[in-house]
Amino acid sequence: MTAEVADAAEAAAAPAAPLAIDGLSVRYPGRKAAAIEAVTVAVRAGERVGVAGRTGAGKSTLALAAAGFIPRVVRARVDGRVAIDGIDTSGAAAVALLGKVGIVFATPANQLSASKLTVREELAFGLENLGVPRAEMDPRIDATLERLGIGHLADREPFALSGGEQQRVAIASIVAMGTGVLVLDEPTAQLDPAGTVGVADLLDELARAGAAILCVEHDPVVLGRMDRCLVLESGRPVALDVPGAALARAWTEIGLPAPTLVRLAAAAGLDPARAFDEAAVAEALRAVRVRPTDSATDTVAASEPTATTWSPGRERAPVRIAIEDLVHRYPGGVEAVRGVSLVIEPGEAVAILGQNGSGKTTLVKHLNGLLRPDAGRVLLDGEPTDGRSIAQLAATIGFVFQDPDEQLFERSVEREVGFGPRNLGIPGAAVGDLVVGSLAAVGLLDQRATNPYDLDLSRRKLVALAGVLATDPAVLVLDEPTTGQDADGVARVGAIVEAYRRAGRSVVAITHDMEFAGRFGRIVVMRDGEVVADGPPEVVFAPVNRDLLASTGLTPPPTARIAARIGLASVPLDVAALLAALGR
Amino acid sequence: MSATTGYFIAGSSWLHRRNPLTKLLALGLVLLSAFLLPPVVLVGLVALVVVAVWSAGLLRPTVRAMRIPALLLFSILVVNSLFFPGATDKLVTLGPLSVSREGLTFGLISAGRVIVAFLASVAFLFTTLADDMLETLIARGASYRISFVILSAVQMVPRMQARAGSILEAQQARGLTLEGSYLRRIRALVPLIGPVMLGSLVDVRERTFALEARGFGARPGRTAYRIVADPPVDRWLRLVIVLGCVGVVVAAVSGILR
Repeated sequence: MTAEVADAAEAAAAPAAPLAIDGLSVRYPGRKAAAIEAVTVAVRAGERVGVAGRTGAGKSTLALAAAGFIPRVVRARVDGRVAIDGIDTSGAAAVALLGKVGIVFATPANQLSASKLTVREELAFGLENLGVPRAEMDPRIDATLERLGIGHLADREPFALSGGEQQRVAIASIVAMGTGVLVLDEPTAQLDPAGTVGVADLLDELARAGAAILCVEHDPVVLGRMDRCLVLESGRPVALDVPGAALARAWTEIGLPAPTLVRLAAAAGLDPARAFDEAAVAEALRAVRVRPTDSATDTVAASEPTATTWSPGRERAPVRIAIEDLVHRYPGGVEAVRGVSLVIEPGEAVAILGQNGSGKTTLVKHLNGLLRPDAGRVLLDGEPTDGRSIAQLAATIGFVFQDPDEQLFERSVEREVGFGPRNLGIPGAAVGDLVVGSLAAVGLLDQRATNPYDLDLSRRKLVALAGVLATDPAVLVLDEPTTGQDADGVARVGAIVEAYRRAGRSVVAITHDMEFAGRFGRIVVMRDGEVVADGPPEVVFAPVNRDLLASTGLTPPPTARIAARIGLASVPLDVAALLAALGR
Repeated sequence: MSATTGYFIAGSSWLHRRNPLTKLLALGLVLLSAFLLPPVVLVGLVALVVVAVWSAGLLRPTVRAMRIPALLLFSILVVNSLFFPGATDKLVTLGPLSVSREGLTFGLISAGRVIVAFLASVAFLFTTLADDMLETLIARGASYRISFVILSAVQMVPRMQARAGSILEAQQARGLTLEGSYLRRIRALVPLIGPVMLGSLVDVRERTFALEARGFGARPGRTAYRIVADPPVDRWLRLVIVLGCVGVVVAAVSGILR
């Protein structure tokens, strides 16, 4: 279907659609290029439309415009039209859109009113603002909680919930207002796999009840369950179709890295519209028995980004980490880590997996002294870390935090990245080399003069990573390095991990991304403060461990799942490995 | 301290059961008494507040909270004892420094007022839910928007504290040291304060959108879900407290207690 024909079809559907976007262009003040241009999409009642694209493609701008925040709250020049239930949002007052459209963002805690004691009261917050009589509130709240399957959370304190539960409460709070149009901007970016599935299930339920849903998302688990997917590139729509077909088209036409299942469907010659049907993909692959030299494998390799490879700034002696019977208790007596023992040899890349609250971050914070053990000890090359300060350990252990905004403060990317090495007393000339090398490795050398806060979240995360790489540590610790990253960003981080390992240094990464974890030589799975699995990914992700993984809220990466369906003996961790296994 | 409940400590004591407005007025009466009545009253006020928190089962957290003004109280006593202007009655002399009777007396009175004010405020915060206070004020005609903004600002404190802790960790992990000369310590504040402020702005933007989407302040005629108890005894108590406030002001202005 050509773009013009597709636009005409969308425009024809618009009058009946609760959310109709017609020829929308948005240009922010002071910017030469439009953030989005000529976007047309109609989201019908009961329909879920995903929005995909690279970082900076204009997805969040589309979300804000669809929710009626542009230009009413966020100033921008707008051409075209956004209509909610037939009301043009450009001139509508807030009260006209109240109870018709709602928006949910990535950070769960920011979606809550922060003043309510229970989830029930949190849902009442919107009803109070609508002026709903008190007698009607409880029935509406109960009905919403019941319908969305979160009735058990009704009397819990919102801030005591997990991120996934908070995000479901945030969505329920919008739905309780009777909102028919729901816009979500990367709602699962900060959730663990179980939380992500919970949000995807909830969106299914809402669509069945007739809601119109527009969801910006990177995660294939959510995207694959949408009815249609709109792909943006540099603000312009490039595909609008069922998710598999739209993402396959964006892959072939603009080189947007496609989800694994889409690539496998292409390799098997399966209709891309069925790409997210794992059983169909497995059946097609079984029938075709492709060879590893097939074009799909080549195309996969071609989609990797071409960032400059990281290389060590200085020669460093390798460091062996030994964690012995480590126990950590937080004030109040909660035992977050219970007698963990691990040895990480130089040159090892270790991914630590587990649900939120399983003790992953608590464990790795002991490596650089941010936390001290209540029992047990940590040794670096046989020397206990007990008497060494965090600053002293920082020269050996580089720690990249999950939230870059907890670290960035300088007025330019270059100064920000130089902060760590200057603190550690590295000579000025060497600092310059380390800064340039680190920025090149994360692909941000051309942004060295930019203020970090002028970059989007995914690139701010890369700045934070470069800031630690520039300290040239022997061990790199990464806490959720791929959250909020598009496929290019994930590949960049993966390339740095691999280069680090090749240089004989160690990497320890906490991640919820099973495909990313498959790049590591060793996987440690934690549950309730204990290590429940430790081994190569091919062993941990083997079908025999399926129940164990499920008990931690995890599932193997898609290639391993497909291989298990086909009945292969091996556990392939990427597309090339799976196709190679099938070609034998 | 939780992001939702602030300083509130859950309980069902007689102090917890009082209406927030009653407690707010009582706090006002204690403060007026501490600052307007003769200093001898301070001893009675301290005893009164201590008995109140003890009977509400909050003595232990209240004593723990006294760590917060400890440095201020110590400074008030030392500075006034040693450097009170015009002091002549010296009690103890240590080299060039002398402790004066006038300074020590003034220091004790000032410290006593701070202790009374702090204890009474703590008793109010420990037993009053911010959301109950909000609803009470709105029910009596206060602006919803202004009341909510004040409440949110108060409740941002624990979130900013938690954030500051994470930022400190992140910068220490990049080799930032908080030891050394004063100049070095002051310089070390920049990478700590910067992310707190900038990160809060990012949060506020998202929170503003979320509140907009839920109709915050969009139309008049807001209703309330939470019912704040206001038993008859509270109404009588408020009358007594208001009369007490008037009495204190009259006594202070007329000087009949001096």
